[in-house]
Amino acid sequence: MVVSMNPPRLELRRASKIYQTNGQKLEALRDVSLTLEPGTITALVGRSGCGKTTLLNLAGAMDFPTSGEVLIDGRATSSLSEEELTALRRSRIGFVFQFFQLLPALTALENVELPLLLAGAPKSREVARRRLEWVELAEKADSFPYQLSGGQMQRVAIARALAQTPEILIADEPTGNLDNASGDQVLALLRDAAQRFGATVLMATHSAEAAAIAQTRVQMRDGRVAAIERA
Amino acid sequence: MRRLQLFRTLILRPLRRDLLRTVLTILAVALGVGVVIAIDLAGDAATGSFRSSLETLVGKTDLEIVANGGVDERWMAELTALPLNARFAPLVETQGVIERMGAVTVYGVDFVAHGRGQVGKPVPQLDTAAIVSSALAKRVGVTEGGHVTLTLNDASRTFQVAGITDARDAEFVLLDIATAQRALNAYGRLDRIDVFVSPHDDFARVEREIRSALPASYRIEKPGTRSEENQRMLRAFRWNLRVLSYISLVVGAFLIYNTISVSVVRRRTEIGVLRALGAGRRWILWLFLGESLLFGLAGSLAGIALGRLMAEGAVGLIAQTVNSLYVSSRPAAVDLGAPAVVTAILAGIAVAFLSALAPAREAMQVAPVEAMGRGAHEHHARMHVRRDLAWAAFVAIVAYAVSRVRPVDGKPIAGYATTLLAIVAMALAAPALVTGLAAATRKASRAMFGPEGLLAVRGLAATLARTSVVVGALATAIAMMASVGIMVGSFRETVIVWLDAQLRADLYVGPAARAGAGAHPALSADVPALVSSIPGVEAVDIFHAIEFDYKGQRASLGAGDSEVVRRYGRLRFLPGEDREAILRSLVGQDRVIVSEPFANKHGVRAGDVVTLPLGAHLVKVTVAGVYYDYSSERGWVIFDNSTLLKYLPDLPATNLAIYARKDADASQVRHAIEESLAKYRVVVAPNRSLRQNAVVVFDRTFAITYALEGVAIVVAMLGAANSLLAMVLDRRREFGLLRYLGAAPAQVRRMILLEAGFLGLAANLLGLALGFVLSLVLIYVINKQSFGWTIQFHPPLALLASASALVWVTTVLAGIYPARTAARLNPIEVIHEE
Repeated sequence: MVVSMNPPRLELRRASKIYQTNGQKLEALRDVSLTLEPGTITALVGRSGCGKTTLLNLAGAMDFPTSGEVLIDGRATSSLSEEELTALRRSRIGFVFQFFQLLPALTALENVELPLLLAGAPKSREVARRRLEWVELAEKADSFPYQLSGGQMQRVAIARALAQTPEILIADEPTGNLDNASGDQVLALLRDAAQRFGATVLMATHSAEAAAIAQTRVQMRDGRVAAIERA
Repeated sequence: MRRLQLFRTLILRPLRRDLLRTVLTILAVALGVGVVIAIDLAGDAATGSFRSSLETLVGKTDLEIVANGGVDERWMAELTALPLNARFAPLVETQGVIERMGAVTVYGVDFVAHGRGQVGKPVPQLDTAAIVSSALAKRVGVTEGGHVTLTLNDASRTFQVAGITDARDAEFVLLDIATAQRALNAYGRLDRIDVFVSPHDDFARVEREIRSALPASYRIEKPGTRSEENQRMLRAFRWNLRVLSYISLVVGAFLIYNTISVSVVRRRTEIGVLRALGAGRRWILWLFLGESLLFGLAGSLAGIALGRLMAEGAVGLIAQTVNSLYVSSRPAAVDLGAPAVVTAILAGIAVAFLSALAPAREAMQVAPVEAMGRGAHEHHARMHVRRDLAWAAFVAIVAYAVSRVRPVDGKPIAGYATTLLAIVAMALAAPALVTGLAAATRKASRAMFGPEGLLAVRGLAATLARTSVVVGALATAIAMMASVGIMVGSFRETVIVWLDAQLRADLYVGPAARAGAGAHPALSADVPALVSSIPGVEAVDIFHAIEFDYKGQRASLGAGDSEVVRRYGRLRFLPGEDREAILRSLVGQDRVIVSEPFANKHGVRAGDVVTLPLGAHLVKVTVAGVYYDYSSERGWVIFDNSTLLKYLPDLPATNLAIYARKDADASQVRHAIEESLAKYRVVVAPNRSLRQNAVVVFDRTFAITYALEGVAIVVAMLGAANSLLAMVLDRRREFGLLRYLGAAPAQVRRMILLEAGFLGLAANLLGLALGFVLSLVLIYVINKQSFGWTIQFHPPLALLASASALVWVTTVLAGIYPARTAARLNPIEVIHEE
């Protein structure tokens, strides 16, 4: 980990998350501390239900810890207003999901353009086209999701996540639903995202191949960090 | 048992979970069924009781002798002299008015012969005595020995109540027959002779003997004939009202279709699993039909209660129309009988079943392999936009062809079929319109509303199957509103133009005791002469009117001064007919003019010869022309006074139309007339107030129509809210995702409202187009075949514009709750719920 005077881009400080369902407490995350720097890829590994997705949601400012803190550039996400959170998600965080989550009514290009439009970014169409070129799907710009293969859909989803050149890219099982060849393409893109765009990539995965591209592998068990391996 | 359990988990549980949507759907069905029930019950109550209320008192008569213009009293002697075992009772029947109580039936009966029978003792002072039915006595608050003041024709008379007679809920006043004839200036004339045949005599022989003793123009009717005639006369009116009431149910059908479709789309995976586990196709079909039947049953039951309530409000409105257009009647109490309940339940269930059939069949087609699918959202309803559009065109052509078919048994069945086919064509064209509109507005909506605009338009087009059903439901309601609005507006304009032509006189005089359509109270004999002698009066058209029977149907017979009408009036005849020549030809000739509804009802044209029974004569008259008339649906036959009075010499005048001299001050002339007629109870109305009155009556007549439209719109609004809510629940993953991508809650809210606005716009476009077509069907097919009126096409554009704007705004308002729901969704939950 790089030592610097600036606060780390993304930091979890003793973050815990407790869910209350039907009067029962469920500790999804216990006392997790992590620090992530720009241009790095961190993989969360562990069995289903070990808290990976909860951690991703906290890191993506979609949810807040019950205790402890999640800091982005030194600011606790739980201290931000709804407007600040929306602004944060718009411009600084990108998400990639296992099931792609493309909007079926929009074309590939429009899907990529959507975050730019929501943020009111200028030249949105041009930027979106460049991102599609980056994922090598320029010729599929006008195709609707149902006309694309799984791998292509996930590449469009990555293009969309990177549309605003976010500083943090959260990916939940990005290759979980893909064949090997497509999975490799997606992983190459994630690596590129970290190297070329300087994004901090945080990815949850079951796949050894995916975990292998990460500089840091965080092994999770029962909501806790069991081990941290660095490449 | 196991199936019932599955039905509970698969159907009932989700219904409970989406309680708001379930309630909205049931409410929509309930409103549709409720309106049908309300119109049926209110129609029965408003028109049901035409049986002679006298029957409750004197017992059932066996035969009734009647004649146009009245039965001459002298026939009583001839009839009683016949060697028959039968009793004859003369009768005078009219409508009187009691101050602040309204119209009441007044009978003149023979008190000498039968008075004792009514109150158990002889009736003293025959010329001032009245017997009052118990129900009326209670309402008026009068007891035996008290007084009751009646306006009969143009005079008020006070009678002493000689007795109260119990006749259940019937309301009437009995006078001695001679007193009644005197009060009505109808000496020697009877309205009817009731015949009571002894059970020991041969009925057919009695009837034959009576027939041969009377003039051929007299009619011998079975009791109840008049009541049947009245019902027949009202049939077209009630039919149309009933059909109008079914529109809300049609709108409700769209909503059930929509609800079941959503239910199927959302449970495709579950259906797939069930199929994979061995559930048969038929079983799946019944699962969803069961859901719809549940809606139908619950909606019907709620609808019965709702309909019973709404009927109370509707009965007054319908009674007003019946009274002003058809025949005087007093509404009876609303009675919710078993047939109405059964009809309601059957209607609700049938509509639910039919509208769910298509989506339930779609569920049946789900292959077991869909269990492997990742959820309902991946399913794209297969829409065949082009094929549906071709079908729409085909159905539209069929609809046009059907509209040319002649009425069946006097009912415009073809017109109704055309309406239904037009709605089907519209529903089939809806997907094409939504896609077309989405494509056309894509750039504009994105430019105007940014990403929310793009998403709204695209989202709607993507969920075409559902969107077009909502658009169809809303469009049907809007079309109904527009078509009825155009029809009524056109009719109103036509009537106003007609009134302008018809009412040319400066003043009109008539008796104060006018009770309703079909009642023609007479003026006292010296009134016409008194009016004519007033300085400033240029001409007086003395009009005589009576109710008459033509070929078993009720109509009005009149006579006026055709020379005055020719010189001062502007009566309009059908195209190609020469007004001047026609009116000139009437004087002293057996020639008549007939109103358009009469001509259409009886298939009569100018030049035809018709035979009219008048008093003791059968008169062959030539129809000189057909004129436009909108005053009554029963139709008029009009003579010149010189001809009619030849056949009915004692006929009293009923109205006067007074033309003031050009140099005279109309208000002074009116004042002078009022002064000279001070002792008579007459109404002297200036031209303008008569016209205004006519328009007020017109508007009152169509109040029920507007009320029905309102309900259909409310049902459609419930549908819009329901569907938008369904859409939000169905696309919640999408809204959650938008939040991940940085959409603010306000943006999500805006998007739903935009979708609602787009939906409203599409529905308005389609609805107005369909409404325009339906208005043509209403005006030129249904109205023409039912009532025989020519209505000029005058769409009330301002009204239509404001009504559709109102509907549009309400659609957007209906989106507020779903929009809030969408904005409040927890993105994490909806994204990870798979």
